[in-house]
Amino acid sequence: MARAGNVNERAGARARAPDVPTLVEAKLAAPRLRAEIVQRPRILQTLDAGDGAALTVVAAPPGYGKTTAVRDWCARREWPLAWVTLDTGDNDPVRLWRYAATAVNRVRDGLGRTALQRLSLAAPPTEGSVDELMNGVAAFGKQLVLVLDELQTVTDTECLASIDYALEHLPPSLRLITITRTDPALGLAQLRARGGLAELRTEELAFTTAEAHELLVERGRLDLDAHDVELLRARTEGWPAALFLALLWLRTVDDPGRAVREFGGDHRFVADYLSQVVLGALPEDLRSFLMRASVLGRFTAKLCDGVFGRSDSAAVLDELERSNLFIVRLERGGWLRVHSLFAEFARYHLASQEPGAAAEIHHRAAEWLRWRGLPVEAAEHATAVGDHEFIAELLVEHHLSMIRQGDARTLLRWLETLPDDTLLDHPELAAAAATAATMIGQGSIARRRFLKLVDRAHTERPERPSAYGEAVAEMVRAASVDGDVGLAVQAGRRAVELAQCSADDVLVAALAGYARALYLAGEPDEAWTTALQAVEHPDAEHRLPGHALARSTLALVAADRGRLASARMHAERAKAIVGRNGTSRSWLGANAAGALGVVLAGEGSLAEAEHELAYAEHFFRDEVATVQHAWLLVLLARVRCRRGRLAEAATTLRSADEAIAEFADGGCVAALAAEVARELEQAEARAGNGEILESPSVAELTVLRMLATNLSAREIGAELFLSPNTIRSHTRAIYHKLGVSSRSDAVARADALDLLGQTESPM
Amino acid sequence: MTFTSRVCVADSAGDAPGMAIREYRLVVEGELSDPAGRAFEGMTLTRELGKTVLTGSVRDQAELQGLLQRVSDLGLTLLDATALDERSES
Repeated sequence: MARAGNVNERAGARARAPDVPTLVEAKLAAPRLRAEIVQRPRILQTLDAGDGAALTVVAAPPGYGKTTAVRDWCARREWPLAWVTLDTGDNDPVRLWRYAATAVNRVRDGLGRTALQRLSLAAPPTEGSVDELMNGVAAFGKQLVLVLDELQTVTDTECLASIDYALEHLPPSLRLITITRTDPALGLAQLRARGGLAELRTEELAFTTAEAHELLVERGRLDLDAHDVELLRARTEGWPAALFLALLWLRTVDDPGRAVREFGGDHRFVADYLSQVVLGALPEDLRSFLMRASVLGRFTAKLCDGVFGRSDSAAVLDELERSNLFIVRLERGGWLRVHSLFAEFARYHLASQEPGAAAEIHHRAAEWLRWRGLPVEAAEHATAVGDHEFIAELLVEHHLSMIRQGDARTLLRWLETLPDDTLLDHPELAAAAATAATMIGQGSIARRRFLKLVDRAHTERPERPSAYGEAVAEMVRAASVDGDVGLAVQAGRRAVELAQCSADDVLVAALAGYARALYLAGEPDEAWTTALQAVEHPDAEHRLPGHALARSTLALVAADRGRLASARMHAERAKAIVGRNGTSRSWLGANAAGALGVVLAGEGSLAEAEHELAYAEHFFRDEVATVQHAWLLVLLARVRCRRGRLAEAATTLRSADEAIAEFADGGCVAALAAEVARELEQAEARAGNGEILESPSVAELTVLRMLATNLSAREIGAELFLSPNTIRSHTRAIYHKLGVSSRSDAVARADALDLLGQTESPM
Repeated sequence: MTFTSRVCVADSAGDAPGMAIREYRLVVEGELSDPAGRAFEGMTLTRELGKTVLTGSVRDQAELQGLLQRVSDLGLTLLDATALDERSES
């Protein structure tokens, strides 16, 4: 049932909603080591041998004791340990590194703090955050182990690229160990060839006959002879989980030796069969508890009490743990889990014995966790049974703080699981999905779909108006522009009106979106006043996305008017707000880069301008043509033209023209494209004539040729038997004559004019 | 002993034309019990000596990857995976 309530009540709830505790505590806890595990010195030695390797990959199917082996090794090393157990929800670089940085920060408070600060920006910079984390680890000055368990659940290419990036920047004091069922796409072959990879794989993790003997006979006290042990090892292929199951099973039979011999000739799937036997031998109450706990995945005794309607879960769990029944106790917060392989089979047995029991458990767990302030854990259970209304209610409460904290990707992942009907009931969520799709990038098609849902909600659900949802949808329409500037301007005006009436916390973003639409419509004066209203709003400091976008627009208007100092100030503020760094993807970062690129071009720093504009242009590439992208292509073409890279400029401009032809209303972009086309034509004519301001002298041409190398002024001087000062004055003259302001531009321009080859010609 | 159990009747009547629905056959090591066979809902389970053969229509590569994921989650050894025909052509 949806929570009813008028708009004001909802607005109140939004204002009060605390920051979401987005990290699941249990995922940061290493499993506790059991005292009675089989000693496996050869496994420890393999891990020891990996000292000095950048990456250790422990790869094997479930039940091969991967986690136990790594946990045991870490305990013996006594190195500080940061442990993260990943899951499919971590296919978002922000979440992945937030977990890693939190785990590292718990080794010593402060080590991961700067990284975590960056990761809670509205547009978190992945690579910059990884850099900060690596700096934190390096500053620690002691050895540290970071373990990423269940890495097979992470398949997102950006996540894997960020791990690759971390591997390249790993301080020597950090040992990264990944535990996985499948080989991660991390360029392992290359690492292996460089000797940067340590591996522990299925073959080594399988129990030898001696180890099986230790497990079954020495510790398990089973009456088995060497032949029986070998038979069992062969039948299980040394699979540790199957051997543990066999131990539990054989303890319940009268003649273990005979049982093993019968089992040896059996063809059933070992883990499946043995789980069934072991579960079947348990007293009813324990069996039922274990199967139900397997459905929960991670749990505490209190959660079990709440969900199973009992009060003795702590005692039952102790008993299961004592009986070695695959209960794993985590080191923090009283969390436990059932070993994943055993839990798999236990869940299927429960499903066949009591259909519907699992769904009931998930529902109750979701409710229980939600009211104890664990929304992420609650959502996981609700997702498992497709309880859409529950997820929708959770997200109604938390979507705003998620967007503000850089969780757009996770928010979108959850929202995408909801059917249209649920989103129509909650138009503010459809609007939030449109926002998230925009912020992540390459989301034009998803954005259109969600915006359409908000419109449909307006007509199909007139009884549940959402001024807030509409305001956000119009704001997204304005800020993202898409293919029609006129519509974007209208949407912006409406967003501001709606926000002023009843959705005050959207006002800064609405003004910023409106200003951006006005700018692209070719209304710089109105764009300026509107963007100024956004940054001068009393809430501006807390509305970072809107604030950053408005600053970018101010920078653009100021730069167009030639007020470069003001333009630079605004562009730098925008960049500081979004904390952009490296090439990490973010819509706000791309907007800030676009503005900075325009400012740099105005200042004559063409190489830097091209770098920023190319970053922004790359971000805005999408399956469909958008005005923002076409506009950036035109700006990029202009900078390339001015750098003398005429052919590239022409190609870039052609792509822009193709996009412009598709727009219902391309605003100022078509005129700008025409302007750049003229500039390009003139440059081509000049280049055709070999025309430049003044031809460089022979001496200058010699220096010009040296500028194309990596040599410094001093080195060029040494090469040409001239003083560095002479080289510098020649360089200044070259810049002047070619009409450029940097070494790279001089080389590019000279190349375009074919000046570099001249001195080399045998003539 | 060979016997077949249909875990769940796969609905083939609603195939949209043009969708690349394919019949797949997966062979895993060991004979799987009925409860564990629920992991492969929609597939037909056949137990042969020391092997389990799973056949059924697979809508797309994502669904196939999901099946393979379950093979991995259960610790099963995959012996063979074959596409039997292309039903979209019929």
